[in-house]
Amino acid sequence: MMGNGKNELMGPLVTGYKSYILIGVLLLVSLPLILAYSTLIITSFANTIVSNPWVKFNFTFDNWIAFFRGELSTTHARIYTTGEILRMIGNTVIVAAGVTAVVLGGSATSAYAYSRMKYRWRKGSLKLLLLLHAFPGVALIVGVYTIYYYTLVKYIPPQSRTLYSFFFVILARASLEIPMSIWILKGFFDRVPWELEWSVLIDGGSRWTAFRHAVLPLVKPGIAAVAIFAFLAGWEDLIYVMIFLPPNQKTLATFIEGQLASGSLETSYLPIMAAAGTLYLLPTILFFIFTQRLLLETMSGGLKG
Amino acid sequence: MKLGHKLSNATFFLLPAIILIAAFYILPLIVTTWISFTPLRDWKISQLTEFVELENYRALYKFVTTHPLGSLVLKTTIVFVVFTLIVNVLGGLLLAIATYVIEERVSLGFRLLWLIPRMTPLAVFGLIWYYFFYGSPQGTLNAFLLKLGLIDQPTFWGTDPNLLPWSAWSIIIFVNGLVGVSYGMIIFYSAFKSLPPELLIAAKVDGASTWQIVRHILIPMARWHLVFVTVWQLLSLVTSYTHLFVLVDWRIVDEWYGTTWALFVFTEAFGTVKNQGLAAAAAVILVIIGSLLGLLTLRIMRFDKITLEPKGDI
Amino acid sequence: MVSVQLVKVTKRFGSVVAVNNVDLEIPDGRFTALLGPSGSGKTTLLYLIAGIYRPTRGKILFDGKDVTNLKPNERNIGLVFQNYALYPHMKVYDNISFPLRLAKKPKSFIDKKVREIAAMLQIDHLLDRYPAQLSGGQQQRVALARALVKEPSVLLLDEPLSNLDAMLRLKIRSELKRLQKDLGITAIYVTHDQSEALAMADKVVVINNGVIQQEGDPHEVYRNPRNVFVASFIGSPPANIFPVKVDLVEEPCVILPGGKYCPKGILAERLKNLGKETVLFGFRPEDATLHEVPRHDGIIMEGEVYTIEPLGREVIVTLKVDGNLVKVIAPPTTTGRISQRVYINVPRDKAMLFDPDTEKNLRLIG
Repeated sequence: MMGNGKNELMGPLVTGYKSYILIGVLLLVSLPLILAYSTLIITSFANTIVSNPWVKFNFTFDNWIAFFRGELSTTHARIYTTGEILRMIGNTVIVAAGVTAVVLGGSATSAYAYSRMKYRWRKGSLKLLLLLHAFPGVALIVGVYTIYYYTLVKYIPPQSRTLYSFFFVILARASLEIPMSIWILKGFFDRVPWELEWSVLIDGGSRWTAFRHAVLPLVKPGIAAVAIFAFLAGWEDLIYVMIFLPPNQKTLATFIEGQLASGSLETSYLPIMAAAGTLYLLPTILFFIFTQRLLLETMSGGLKG
Repeated sequence: MKLGHKLSNATFFLLPAIILIAAFYILPLIVTTWISFTPLRDWKISQLTEFVELENYRALYKFVTTHPLGSLVLKTTIVFVVFTLIVNVLGGLLLAIATYVIEERVSLGFRLLWLIPRMTPLAVFGLIWYYFFYGSPQGTLNAFLLKLGLIDQPTFWGTDPNLLPWSAWSIIIFVNGLVGVSYGMIIFYSAFKSLPPELLIAAKVDGASTWQIVRHILIPMARWHLVFVTVWQLLSLVTSYTHLFVLVDWRIVDEWYGTTWALFVFTEAFGTVKNQGLAAAAAVILVIIGSLLGLLTLRIMRFDKITLEPKGDI
Repeated sequence: MVSVQLVKVTKRFGSVVAVNNVDLEIPDGRFTALLGPSGSGKTTLLYLIAGIYRPTRGKILFDGKDVTNLKPNERNIGLVFQNYALYPHMKVYDNISFPLRLAKKPKSFIDKKVREIAAMLQIDHLLDRYPAQLSGGQQQRVALARALVKEPSVLLLDEPLSNLDAMLRLKIRSELKRLQKDLGITAIYVTHDQSEALAMADKVVVINNGVIQQEGDPHEVYRNPRNVFVASFIGSPPANIFPVKVDLVEEPCVILPGGKYCPKGILAERLKNLGKETVLFGFRPEDATLHEVPRHDGIIMEGEVYTIEPLGREVIVTLKVDGNLVKVIAPPTTTGRISQRVYINVPRDKAMLFDPDTEKNLRLIG
């Protein structure tokens, strides 16, 4: 994980006026990023697009209200009902929660096995996982969609098709996260002392008991980290949701995509889209505020593997 | 304990992952390869059992060699991959060095800031760049350039035919670079962090300047990480398409000057054209390239060092 | 209670041989210490007995019954780890009761047993706490309680005292010894601390490089080390050992600085039969005495004072004898100055001679 020796023993390498220059340069380089994100967030609370520091604007909640009322044009014509908007948010949550559940279920026990058990192909399949993580997703999605479409048309009765497509999109999207999640969790399992497990086995417990009662409770931060990454992956997904869910089942992603790609830009009121975008960005921001260390450490640990 | 028992034990634990990987990696890969030998179009699944031998591959070859759009896709792919790679690796290194040498609290702020694009929902990331490059005085970039007096009327930066191709290429490199640069930053930063502090203290005591420490300790120490990040990022750039899809889909950049090989596969399969046979053939090429790069990564990554062996014989 | 027997046990990790062809008998109801430096294979040996490792070759018997292929839980052992391995998310009570819960014992029985063992180890007031809220010594007792609660037939202890501070270590050392005697349980204790092994064990097994160097009761191992390793590993400070020239012209003798030692009887014969030009000469620091003028009733060497370390109860004098540093434990009143010339006197029956190549004690060969 992250070494943390440097700063306790010695201060930062660059101090004084030089550090201000460096921070200034960093700010300048980060400027597009800062501008772009603040444009989105400020605009969502403004009566016009606040795309640069010289724009005069009034603070307002109108965009948020309009979004939740489904009034998505300058003329405040109602394009969606509030129910439909909530449904969209609900769909996004369903996909994100579903992906989280599948990723945890699919990776926790395997990560344990990779960390703790000896079996044939252990190393080979661990390498394969790494390859799969970097596998051209676009090549997979062609095959995945074919399987989906084929099974949908051949075997799924029309009234179950929506359910099936949710089911499928969750499993397919979650699978993309499985290899890296196994790697990340394995790293956490690796740090649990072996003696705890041996104690269980000596005392007559099974592997499952050792996993469930001695090891799993100690990798809660790892489970949390993987859950967060999985949730965000499901939450942010556009491509899978767009392709697999029927057109009448929108998520925040496909909603925004539809608004911007449909050519309805003239009528679409961009500050309202900013409100939708800011709402959509909310979980990311929350996780960044509350679990920043965990995110950073997991990223460096997980990516290293 | 018997081997069989041990195996069934491990199999039990591995089962969920095995099922998911078989269903969503192995099987789709086989299906994609299969499709590349069929005339599948518009998802007419009856065509799944018709075979056209290498027809799709021939068509693909013809498209790339004779069709102007075909060679454009290749050119865009190469430009995109090469330049974004440079941005990602060098940018990541510079960010890692800068955040390593400054005070911890400020450093944390910057590292988190640069991590945000990686964690931002695709649609939101597209949205903010939509505002940024918007072709009216309200677009952030136009507003700044107008204010600075560098231009006198706003432009649609990614689609204005007078500015193509480099304007569109710059935007796809810029947007993807913002996402990719954090990878190198994190890897290099944690490599620096794992340096024994005594090394730096000793260098300081010996009178080394910060620049000398960076030049003679930090960078040489991260040499292996540089190679690793370069290859790994190369692989991910060759195969990435989602951000490009949004940029093209929303016409933030020109449709063809923003289309790389990976995005070509996607639009060919799911766009308006819908020639899945051709898309699958292009996908298979991508898989071959991706696998070679992946194997290369495995070779240079010190796999045995970073994976612990299980202890005990239970 | 059971006796444990290892028959030609070898354990390899890849190309590394951690335990090499070990034959060992661990007596029923006694306290046996496996003593060796780190990396000697002692913990591997313990884990082999526990069943955590399976031998590459050889057999492990409990009371003559082959347990080589039994899982750890089928061997009825209790194991206390060096880091205690308490479940951090469980209270002390749950930690101790865990083995019984796994065995699906009735609740009332579990409760009775846990309280009994907790009272015996004086941790009954800690049952509601989490391990992190306990001191090192208390954690150690909890680990011991968890190992003992299921009434194992063998108690295995892997350096259980090494994470405690020096004072506490002495206290628990005597308690542990008493506990073992009271329970009459077969105990196997791994340690790198020779004083711990000598103090606690009925039988000491010295291990190095995966091979048993010597086994026996503590006094025997201390007094009659079989080889240079045992002599220099056991004792604080350990035995002094240095090379000396052999003179076989008249009778078999070794030449010492300022003196000469001509052994008698069987030792003389062995020295002669060895026929080598040098041998290793050794003695324990507490066996020698220092004098300003030579005495004539023992082995005499001349040396020069190098340092003097007063330790209160005694004084350790380091001397330079022919370029070798030699330690002698002297009475607390000893004074002297650096570079002073003194005579070291070693009783003849306390002197040791070792073959310089095999490093074996010539007195014990055969």
